[in-house]
Amino acid sequence: MSYRCPVCMFPSLLYPPTNYHICPCCSTEFGNDDADFSHQQLREMWIGNRAPWFFGNPPAHWNPWMQLMQAGLASYVPKEFRAASFQSSAVLRQSVAGNINLPNYSNQNLPQIPVAA
Amino acid sequence: MLKPYVCVACEKVIIAQDGVASLIALFSKIILTIPAGTEIPRDAVAPKEWAVFSIWDPEPGDDLRKFFLCTQILYPDETQFGQIAKSKFNIEPNKRSQMNMQIQGFPIGQAGEYKIRSWIEENDKKISDPIQFGIEVIMNFTAAPTGASTVTPP
Repeated sequence: MSYRCPVCMFPSLLYPPTNYHICPCCSTEFGNDDADFSHQQLREMWIGNRAPWFFGNPPAHWNPWMQLMQAGLASYVPKEFRAASFQSSAVLRQSVAGNINLPNYSNQNLPQIPVAA
Repeated sequence: MLKPYVCVACEKVIIAQDGVASLIALFSKIILTIPAGTEIPRDAVAPKEWAVFSIWDPEPGDDLRKFFLCTQILYPDETQFGQIAKSKFNIEPNKRSQMNMQIQGFPIGQAGEYKIRSWIEENDKKISDPIQFGIEVIMNFTAAPTGASTVTPP
């Protein structure tokens, strides 16, 4: 069983975030650090230091910003990262393919339309 | 074996109840507009949801096999961003398979062309050539705002 850190949202804590266990990601010591600061304040401090990994090597391809986003905390991502917009560099030519599959009538085989006398 | 019919990146995919997919905002580049002097760290990610949407044509018998669609994102320097996403195909005979891989952020730590690469695996072995397309990240640096008000000389 694994637990999620309430500060940095690291999802693979081996122990519950209590009893002086330390998060290997953000270094919060539960019961000590969070006695003095709220989890939100600790998160803001961790982000203020560019959200570094604390203990040993991080998991392969770990990314602190994806970790926050996947936990629904995208609003904590620095505002300069948010100034991105999707765009297309494609050129467009629009056309209407009106002649596809329409029968090509000639004068000889025009459909006979009954005409009232 | 499954044959690719469509594979694109877009901002959003809406799937109707009858399975018809609508793609919103197909994109090929991301423009980041930031003040001059702003440093974008190597691990930066733009918090924008996007998706890699693909459609595949099955061949007879494919519904009896277990295929996985793998999707990888590569930085311009060819290093990998995040884990390779793996998703199992749901295949029914004579029906196209639609795969929608939603991703919660786009890496922006390097300017240049990122590669989105998708391939099929069976029993943890790659059994198709990858489909690959590029998304360009462009950084536009604007003049840094000055805090002081300007004084016009008389």
